[in-house]
Amino acid sequence: MATIVGGFVAPHNPVMYFNPQGASQEQSDACYAAYAAMAERIKALEADAAIVIGCDHYILFGTECLPPYVISTGEIEGPVDQLPGLRRKPLPSHGALGEHIAKVGRETGFDWTVGRALNVDHSVAVPNHLMLEPTGRDIPLVAVMLACGVDPYLPMKRAWDLGEHIADAVASYPGTERVVVIGSGGISHHVGDERMGEVNPEFDRRILDIVTRGDKAAMLALSDAEILREGGNGAMEIRTYACAMAATRAAGGRVIGYEPVEGWVTGMGFAELEVAA
Amino acid sequence: MSRNTLEKVLYDLSTSGAHKKKFAEDPETFLSRYQLVEDERALIRDYKVRALADLGVNTMLTWGFWLQAGKSNREYLKVMKREEA
Repeated sequence: MATIVGGFVAPHNPVMYFNPQGASQEQSDACYAAYAAMAERIKALEADAAIVIGCDHYILFGTECLPPYVISTGEIEGPVDQLPGLRRKPLPSHGALGEHIAKVGRETGFDWTVGRALNVDHSVAVPNHLMLEPTGRDIPLVAVMLACGVDPYLPMKRAWDLGEHIADAVASYPGTERVVVIGSGGISHHVGDERMGEVNPEFDRRILDIVTRGDKAAMLALSDAEILREGGNGAMEIRTYACAMAATRAAGGRVIGYEPVEGWVTGMGFAELEVAA
Repeated sequence: MSRNTLEKVLYDLSTSGAHKKKFAEDPETFLSRYQLVEDERALIRDYKVRALADLGVNTMLTWGFWLQAGKSNREYLKVMKREEA
């Protein structure tokens, strides 16, 4: 059976690419060092597959169809929203693992929308670029997209349940893959509204504390109204953290780095998740 | 007012170069394809992003719509904060 051997939460901030000067050199160095540290951990864990939990930003799915959660079961390409230094290209994909998770889901109450040739945005491409590619292991990934950016939002509880389902499905996969799970999203950030540029370090540290204590109750107690008020519309992405926490059985973890980068309009939090035995 | 169709127009403009080109060349003809009333067409034609957001249009779309026209982020924030002259 395949095994989830590690988990991480990290931002996927596109502003790093199109406005690198928005952060001070110290903050920029700290963020890139955190990504590098996570890549080293993934390498040390000898991971040979990754499940990257991202979210659409009204780039992939339009008003015609807004799926609550999507999984790749075949080829992956992206990012659709190309960035300087991050051009659209085929990404290494583990279609068989994605198909297995989707199949288990259909049998257990999780009706995945599947992407048999899925385009992804920066929420998957950035972790691939900064956390998987630097390992040099050509790690194939399964892309999961949660409805975090466009309403109706995936309920936090459903994101959690989805993570537990992913853990169960990976454990029943007939392979020996060592899988890491990445919850991809920023903490406080406002995208496109009048508060864009505001960062809330107090909220950010609270979320990192919840993540690294593996506190399911506290995570599920966060209401959408509270997240929007304290962290902004971008902070709805912490659903990806909930999903990653559940996939690693909420065993806690450690903060790798945190920088409140107003010039990058985001509270940039990085943490490694322990995996329950 | 239909938030849905307003979002559909902005989504189409943010994801399709062909749509952007048609909108830039002839906004009225481009917008006539959509189920919009004149007031709604004017909001898009005149880049009234604050008003669009007030109608519930997703601000990821209003921001992208503004930037794809070559307008500045600084001006966008002024409009969203109701600080425009």
